[in-house]
Amino acid sequence: MASTTIEAGGAGAAVIGPEQSFSSVSATLGDLVLRQQTPRWWYVGAGISGAFLVLFLIASIWTFAAGVGAWGINIPVAWGLALANYTWWIGIASGGTFISSLFYIVGADWRNGVNRTAESLTLFAAAAAGMMPILHLGRQGLFYWLFPYSTVMGVWPQFLSPLIWDFAALLCYILNSLVFWYIGLIPDCATLRDRATRRTQRVLYGILALGWRGSTRDWRSYKAAYLVMAGIMAPMVVSVHSIVGLDFAAGLIAGWHSTQWPPYFFIGALYSGWAVVLCLIIPLRRLYHLERIITERHLDVIGKLMLTTGLLLAYCYLMEVMDPLYSGDRAKVTEFYASAFGHYGATYWARNTLNIFIPQLLWFPAVRRNKLALGLIALGIVTGMWIERYNFVVSALAQDYIPSKWGFYGATFWDWAILLGSAGLVMSGFFLFIRFLPVVSMFEIREVIHRRSKTEGAS
Amino acid sequence: MSASRAELHGLIAAFRTAEQVAAAARHLASEGYRDWDIYGPAPIDELDELIPTRRGRLITAVMVAAGIAGACVGYFYQYWDAVLGYPINVGGRPYNSWPGFVPSAWEICALFTVYAGFFAFCFASGLARLYHPIFAAPNFERASQDRFLICIATDPHGEAAEQLRALLARHGAESTAELDR
Repeated sequence: MASTTIEAGGAGAAVIGPEQSFSSVSATLGDLVLRQQTPRWWYVGAGISGAFLVLFLIASIWTFAAGVGAWGINIPVAWGLALANYTWWIGIASGGTFISSLFYIVGADWRNGVNRTAESLTLFAAAAAGMMPILHLGRQGLFYWLFPYSTVMGVWPQFLSPLIWDFAALLCYILNSLVFWYIGLIPDCATLRDRATRRTQRVLYGILALGWRGSTRDWRSYKAAYLVMAGIMAPMVVSVHSIVGLDFAAGLIAGWHSTQWPPYFFIGALYSGWAVVLCLIIPLRRLYHLERIITERHLDVIGKLMLTTGLLLAYCYLMEVMDPLYSGDRAKVTEFYASAFGHYGATYWARNTLNIFIPQLLWFPAVRRNKLALGLIALGIVTGMWIERYNFVVSALAQDYIPSKWGFYGATFWDWAILLGSAGLVMSGFFLFIRFLPVVSMFEIREVIHRRSKTEGAS
Repeated sequence: MSASRAELHGLIAAFRTAEQVAAAARHLASEGYRDWDIYGPAPIDELDELIPTRRGRLITAVMVAAGIAGACVGYFYQYWDAVLGYPINVGGRPYNSWPGFVPSAWEICALFTVYAGFFAFCFASGLARLYHPIFAAPNFERASQDRFLICIATDPHGEAAEQLRALLARHGAESTAELDR
């Protein structure tokens, strides 16, 4: 183990700087919240995000007031950017939860450096996703009709519809993500409470810590509860995004009516999730000087995960070609050619380039070590995944069975305002998180340090 | 129990590493001390064996039970609606089309499990109780940062306490303080 130093970089790098101790972790991460003067880049970033959040509010209010006619949607393309955005954001959220839960169950130590970032991202991305269907409803005030409540009209939601499964899935997922995120924050808030010098901080973090004392029995309770939660959250993520895939599969549109979408969407979700996590931690570790805590090993692992997921997605893309061509179904074949070479063909090839071709560079360790290249590839994947969703939603709707039903879709200013604004919503939340809460889970890093000291003691 | 006030008559000692505190705790157990607890800044598996507790298993059991209850509630909610309350014939499909009820039932199952786990965890750990007398112990703020504190219920002024101090010091206690509140 002695040869795996942090300087080696890439796969050989240690998961944490060898000089890190319990004290240094508490001091570094705790003081980022408690003692540092808010850095200038934070004001710039939070200001820009806040501006886009305001844009989101304006666009939402305009959509409420003017109706969804403000958007570019029409018949036949009744779903436009809102559905693409929804699928995209919920996918990004899923990736975050999956990093945190699956890699907790398998006991991967690198997970402890990035899970807090990933979970926070999940929370905000899921919130942004949740906004999209409500905005698209047209009569937003009636969204509660989705709830199976005791209605005097005698009409209940149709529980056999994937759209209702989706409602249950998204609602439960957001509520669960909140608790999954918060339970991990409790011991860290106790650290902040105990390190705080100002009374307001001590009171605030004291309340958030709920009076956590950290006795061995308490930790046992924590571990038991967290393990089962992680064990539930991992399959839940799979189900949530598979249900999104089923929303499409149950639709009768030629380009949607296929059973391949649940895994296709889930793999895409993970892919965009890893990519967004990378896009966030690469600048974050540099700006907050956390290179010794979020090390090159983390970047390397997520880079490899992206490559693997990208290959799985490439297989899905091949199946997406295979399905219509092998079926020989006239409508499906027509729709496929239209999506790949028709009016929206550019988006088809853009997504293939950004999601499949360019990420093949990740085979080279030198690329995975180069933060700029890694960040740009990840950014390309995030964009590519949105383009994939756009192509999927719009080109399928535009080319239905009957040529007389064909049409086109063009997004309006308000469509783009909702998309960019939702990014502002997510990033505003993220900037608040990195300022007021520890960006890396302190007690889980201490666990890594303890395990490392044990293996060193043994060798 | 850590919440009892009686515990707060005793000694509290701070250790730098989990190994030291575990060694001290093992020694205490062999000397016949019963009422003690370790406070630390990270979940350390080795410490679990020193303090037998069934809390972990109880929480798991509560979560599993809540999950089963959630799945049943989720399923029967849909069953009641589709079969008993508001039956609607859609294309001649059976009212109780169970495969279609499974996804929502599963999500409700997950919801119940996670929330039951959270509340069971809070209950077992005595949360939310914002103030606890142990917080007044010297150096207790380090227990959430970089020290392991062992708290032993005993008469802090007697002769036994002197022996206990010596025992703790032998295992590398950085400081030992009296708790007498």
